[in-house]
Amino acid sequence: MKKRWISLLCLAVMLLSLLTGCGGAPAEDGDGKVFRYGTTAYGPAMSNAGLNPHENYSGWSCVRYGVGETLFRFTETMELEPWLATDYAWLDDVTVRIGLRQGVTFSSGRTLDGQAVKECLEHLVAVHDRAPGDLKIQSIQAEENAVVITCSEPNPALLNYLSDPYGAIIDMDYGVTEDRNVAGTGPFVACEIADDHVYLEKNPNYWGGEVALDRVEVTAITDGDTLTMALQSGQIDAVQGLPYASLPLFTDDPGYTVSSADTSRVFFGAFNYEIPALQDLRVRQAIAMAIDKEGFTKTLLNGNGTPAAGPFPESFSFGSGTVTAPGYDPEEARDLLAQAGWTDTDGDGYVDRNGEMLTIRWLTYPGRMELPLLAEAAQATLKDIGVKVEVNSTANSADILESGAWDVYVSAFVAAPTGDGAYFFTTHCLSDSAKNRGGYFNEELEVLAARLRGTFDPEERAALVTEMSQTILDDGAFFFASYLKMNFVMKSSVTGLTAHPSDYYEITARLDKTA
Amino acid sequence: MGTIRKRPLEGTSLRLTLCAGLVGLILLTAVFAPLLTPWDPYAQDMSAALQAPSAAHLLGTDAYGRDVLSRVIVGARTSVFSSLTLVAVICAGGSFLGVLCGWLGGRADAVIMRLSDLFLAFPGMVFAIAVAGLIGGGMVNAVIALAAISWPKYTRLARGQTLAVKSAPYVTAAVMANNTALQIIFRHILPNIAGPLLVTAALDIGTMMMELAGLSFLNLGAQPPTAEWGSMMSKGRSMIQTSPWVVLGPGIAIFLTVLAFNLLGDALRDYLDPKRRGARAE
Amino acid sequence: MRRYILHRLVQLVPILLGVTLLTFAMMRLASGDAVDALYENLGAAVSQEVLDAKRAELGLDQPFFVQYFTWLWGVVRGDMGVSYVSGQRVFETFAAKLPNTLLLTVSSVLLTAAVSIPLGILSAVRHNRAADYVIRFLSFIGNSLPNFFVSLLLLLVFAVKLEWLPVISTGGGMSGLLLPTLTLTIAMAAKYTRQVRSTVLEELEKEYVTGARARGVRESVILYASVLKASMLTILTLLALSVGSLLGGTAIVESIFLFDGVGKLAVDAITMRDYPIIQAYVMWMAIIYVLVNLCTDLLYRRLDPRVRLGEEG
Repeated sequence: MKKRWISLLCLAVMLLSLLTGCGGAPAEDGDGKVFRYGTTAYGPAMSNAGLNPHENYSGWSCVRYGVGETLFRFTETMELEPWLATDYAWLDDVTVRIGLRQGVTFSSGRTLDGQAVKECLEHLVAVHDRAPGDLKIQSIQAEENAVVITCSEPNPALLNYLSDPYGAIIDMDYGVTEDRNVAGTGPFVACEIADDHVYLEKNPNYWGGEVALDRVEVTAITDGDTLTMALQSGQIDAVQGLPYASLPLFTDDPGYTVSSADTSRVFFGAFNYEIPALQDLRVRQAIAMAIDKEGFTKTLLNGNGTPAAGPFPESFSFGSGTVTAPGYDPEEARDLLAQAGWTDTDGDGYVDRNGEMLTIRWLTYPGRMELPLLAEAAQATLKDIGVKVEVNSTANSADILESGAWDVYVSAFVAAPTGDGAYFFTTHCLSDSAKNRGGYFNEELEVLAARLRGTFDPEERAALVTEMSQTILDDGAFFFASYLKMNFVMKSSVTGLTAHPSDYYEITARLDKTA
Repeated sequence: MGTIRKRPLEGTSLRLTLCAGLVGLILLTAVFAPLLTPWDPYAQDMSAALQAPSAAHLLGTDAYGRDVLSRVIVGARTSVFSSLTLVAVICAGGSFLGVLCGWLGGRADAVIMRLSDLFLAFPGMVFAIAVAGLIGGGMVNAVIALAAISWPKYTRLARGQTLAVKSAPYVTAAVMANNTALQIIFRHILPNIAGPLLVTAALDIGTMMMELAGLSFLNLGAQPPTAEWGSMMSKGRSMIQTSPWVVLGPGIAIFLTVLAFNLLGDALRDYLDPKRRGARAE
Repeated sequence: MRRYILHRLVQLVPILLGVTLLTFAMMRLASGDAVDALYENLGAAVSQEVLDAKRAELGLDQPFFVQYFTWLWGVVRGDMGVSYVSGQRVFETFAAKLPNTLLLTVSSVLLTAAVSIPLGILSAVRHNRAADYVIRFLSFIGNSLPNFFVSLLLLLVFAVKLEWLPVISTGGGMSGLLLPTLTLTIAMAAKYTRQVRSTVLEELEKEYVTGARARGVRESVILYASVLKASMLTILTLLALSVGSLLGGTAIVESIFLFDGVGKLAVDAITMRDYPIIQAYVMWMAIIYVLVNLCTDLLYRRLDPRVRLGEEG
């Protein structure tokens, strides 16, 4: 009996020593100005753990947390402005010369020059999965303070793609460390990287001037409610990705401020053209008209979304304001259905034709919390016009897409991650698009897309994109419900944290907090 | 064989009747749910979203403006029936195998136990997600997935219990009296091990409700707009600070159901107690 | 005895083969592979060439059995492979998360035992009296609250309202362990208190207790020397089951309390179809179960000599 007690005691002691023994190194008060940041958007599940821009989506983390910078960056209206570059000139259809900023050094100490950029981009296209296809780089020549990039075919969107976070310029001599750290040119330098946090210190030699904060601690908090309570308890200074339901806790409180921006992440539906009933334009239009975008964004998203018309938000030069889409109009929708032969003959509240009910299999997935909400909201408003909606919200949506057992596929997609209007169409609307699930085809659209591929002038490109957006809307091939409004909620003492439509820029040199 | 505590048998029966009545009430609510709801549980009204409890909406409204009370009543169907089915299947099937193992021993025991090891060793989450991938999400499939991985618990419990009573004098006596295996199992072993199994089963109603809630937390349970208590709680949890009634309604419903089934389990245990049954027989 | 233990350990091999093959098959059948998850879930669109190249790189274009045996051969040589998603070594990734899970398991099982055994006994001894009713009522509440809800309530009360504990405990330490342990304990203790109560009640009605009472043995001696020892069988079975499932991690609790353990790792891996991690997880679970069950059986034997170990000659 006694022996047992002794062993139990030993166990308890071991346990205690374990508890006191493990300790990361979060900052103490003496470490200067520390900014604590909670985010839902970092970690292995997002494929962006670590800071190596040449791997998966880790470039997002590299740029978001102020470690890496790209040659160009996006303005608030998603146009390009020089960042590490100073200027550019197209020498011909496939060659561009990019001038580089002088006086920039990597955190490793090396100076940024043509050779460093060449090495970095060559490594990028050699190892990255998406970059080679986007950039179509054939060769790079380094000059003292410039690089000349030659593409294998005309690539009007090259500079846009170079501004994707994977284009963050890092020092290849320094390389990538075991814990996925890199030497960038940004205001912060990572000192500790794990799957659930990144600790950063200020870069004392930052080219862009004095960095306000001494230290930044980024913590991945996947649970929205934990995030909410961490901010409430004052343990963190600002958060990204707060659940919509928690927003009212902070919007009415003067102790907090919210910064938000419409992103080009659009929630939209694609119709399945294989389904006979949906081959009728009137039926597709009726369904699109029965979706109450205003009600969805206002009530269910607590105002955290903007009703959409086309694929791109208002802030783009080819955005929502330039196209017309049918609005919420149940009356008109019922009329259209009646014209197409769908009426409620048996009085069960749902329309039918030749004894068959109009049932819509609404396929979506729960990975984005807005999608199930949209599905349920649409279920109710479509019922009003007599259309029965069966929601299938599953993580295995890819499977069901393949099988064809769906009528409407509703998903979220960043329509223009690099401000390039062609992207959405080449991925979703053309006959050879990987994500053209519903088998949509319009000859005219294909012609427009081909013209866009050879057009370099930004204004001409915008006009073409607008025309293409209007074409798919007139065809009723897709309906666009809303754009994601991304937001940062922060203590009111925090300044310089501004939501950006690209979703790439979070922690900057301007970021500061008052005592 | 006399009873040790002086508790009149009528008391036990009365208690059993009362608890059975309570459970019956819940089952009746589930069966007649559509007739009892004050509002259409699926009718959305965005203009009435997230209203606090009032005379019109006794338990308030949810984010879609649906009446929470009506959804709780209708949710009784999905929640109670699915967890009941689940527990009944795994308890009966699992215990049967367990008694068999304990009684037969040898090769049969080894094979069944290895099989149960395989399923116990198989992480439930992997299984549930795989099942959802194979046959789709939804309540029925969630129940199938949980049943497939939960039965070994009863097998192990029943086996342990059987091993313990197997060497008891009354079993030895029964063996010597040339009773058949089935007779011994049903007359001597099952009554003696039913207590812990039934108590476990009664408690499991609550546990399984929690498991189903956990699956809907991972979006593998009931599909929208189905009203189901677990998913109502998991979907409404973010509103606990702003609109607590959204989670309170289903929460109280789960509590009352768990309470009722547990009390029934207790009463059943006392009623089935071999000691007192023996006393009654003599 | 040694032969018996060895025999049981050898049985681990077919179980490991069984579960890994089953997982492999199921994850394949469940469709959507790591490459889909990698690109689809992020809402990005990439060309078919990129998808194909990635599949080839990960070996996902190989026939099913080739993939399985390639993986198996790696394991035999002590190489668990590399995570599809993070590119990190599976073994290291897994080993890094284990201490947290072990810690949480030990603390919550100890606390559960410390709470539920005395309360269960008290409840049984005070059968149908005030203490019994209070304990039972509390256990009903504990039994009817989903994990995620208990976590939220605890955080809300202790971290936000009272501010006694931090919401995030990245530094580790006692305060970080407290709430997750409490969350798990509430649900388990609610269950086991009732189980202990029921078992002890049953024991108390056995002949030997009556006999002891008749011989004038003190009630406390009966309780601790005989009844408790006999009740241990059931309690141990249940605790063993809990240890097993706790060692598998508790994804929900882990992600709410940022207590990074194997449970969250597993769920993330499953959503991302990160096969090498899933396989490592499944193997880990299989090993745990076999070991825990072996220990339980050995303990059975120790506590109750009437129980004969299955295969012992």
